[in-house]
Amino acid sequence: MNENEYDNASIEFISTSGVYKTPFTIIIIIEIFLASLIISLVNLWFVNSLYYLLTGTQFYPFNTFVHWSYWLLLPLNIYVNIFFFLGLIMIISWVIYKILKILHPPREGIFDKGSKDWKYMHRRFWTAYFPIWLARAIPFPWSDIIVYRLFGTNIGNSVVAYEGYIDPEFVEIGKNTMTSLHICIFSHLIYHDKVIIKRVKIERNCVIGPQTLTSPGTIIHEGGILGANSYTSINQELEGNLIHVGTPVNVNFPIQSLDESRKKVEKIKSK
Amino acid sequence: MNSKEVLKMFQPASLKGGSSTPVDERLRYKYFPFYLLVIFLSVIPIVLFEYFYITFFWKEPFYIIFFILIAFNIVITLYLLQFSALLISSLLIIIVKLIHNPNIGVFKRNLNNKEYKYWNLRNMIKKWPLFIVATNPFPWLKNRVALRFFGTKIGRNCLCDNSWISSEFVEIGKNVIIGMGSTILSFGIEQEKLILKKIRIADNVIIGAKCVILPGTKIHEGAKLNSHSYTLYDQELKKYQIYSGHPAELKKIGNEGQ
Repeated sequence: MNENEYDNASIEFISTSGVYKTPFTIIIIIEIFLASLIISLVNLWFVNSLYYLLTGTQFYPFNTFVHWSYWLLLPLNIYVNIFFFLGLIMIISWVIYKILKILHPPREGIFDKGSKDWKYMHRRFWTAYFPIWLARAIPFPWSDIIVYRLFGTNIGNSVVAYEGYIDPEFVEIGKNTMTSLHICIFSHLIYHDKVIIKRVKIERNCVIGPQTLTSPGTIIHEGGILGANSYTSINQELEGNLIHVGTPVNVNFPIQSLDESRKKVEKIKSK
Repeated sequence: MNSKEVLKMFQPASLKGGSSTPVDERLRYKYFPFYLLVIFLSVIPIVLFEYFYITFFWKEPFYIIFFILIAFNIVITLYLLQFSALLISSLLIIIVKLIHNPNIGVFKRNLNNKEYKYWNLRNMIKKWPLFIVATNPFPWLKNRVALRFFGTKIGRNCLCDNSWISSEFVEIGKNVIIGMGSTILSFGIEQEKLILKKIRIADNVIIGAKCVILPGTKIHEGAKLNSHSYTLYDQELKKYQIYSGHPAELKKIGNEGQ
């Protein structure tokens, strides 16, 4: 372990994510502007035919096939445009994200507040934030996972990610893992005047309980369960096939089947 | 005081939610007209905007521009609605405050109690703008802008976008970091009591993720609170020191340099 690296015992407190979200508001405005411009241009042919049905004239010199059944497509048009908007925003923000990555490649370590790494971390997170937010507003529960994969997060197949905060960088989530409601998975953390960035690894078949917090450097091995309302401290390793609880995690007990736990309860009652 | 019961009642379930504005079940129907009034008044600017948009662009040479700008029109209406909702409800709140100035203290939760009635009325008026502002992609609108409209003092460079902050009796200093999913409550409801107390958070404070801060808490300059902990009523966190636990206890005496 390096000298300037914090280990599990020397940490006094776990704070929170430190992503300032104002300085890059202009990014979202540009994204919305470009996406809505493209949408309105694409929809011109459809609007043109509707206008032709109403008045008999065309405002756009288009030779379109027009039929009254075009009116039935209007609700579908509006609905599809929402998904189209998400797709466009994803593409635009992905391009910006790539450019930022080329300008300053992300790396792990401990950095001062206000350093170059800190600034570029904000910018990258901020560009990834808007498409993730938008994907959560769409009725497909897997749409946010697609966005995470687009930004390079390793998320395995059949992962269930409920509404919560997951950092778009330095996070690996294995197959069949479930992350519950209202969780925070941080790969970066504020500690006094410094920010710690480290990879979080969650392996296959894990369950992350509701209201939990995973700090940078955490490794949860295969089949491990993080109990509700607990948090892990920095660089903590959790064993697989066990239930872990505590603030920070300090207790673990085995996963029981329903029959086993019933037998135990009967034993206690018979005494 | 049993503070655990308060936690159960008022921790919101979603990271997307706005500031919590509970209203008594018994008063909900009585104050519902105020809620409708805020919605009705905030829609008027949009109607005016749409009227001018249509009358200006629905002419012979402008048809193409009408359809090209329709996507921008939708975006502008969304933000106009949020802004007008905030403006109108804050004006109504000023009028309500002129009729009855809100006080700090412990009150009875009777329907005859004037303080309790007006507290519910203020919450009812704030409900619509705080809800609508929370459902937009600019996170700073939710807390920093919306709460300043209602008179909360939030300092510069304050990072409090992903937390729930009560819209009354809260003062936050400069360079404060408030964690993701933390709740700052300046009100508490014990069985038959309503507790309204001021929360003061000084400069350079760091509050961890998923903390709960109960009414009357004073956090002095540079203090740090571990994540997943809560403070008690009227608790004081001292300068430059680190607290953690449920309820929060002194963990380490820090220095100014750290």
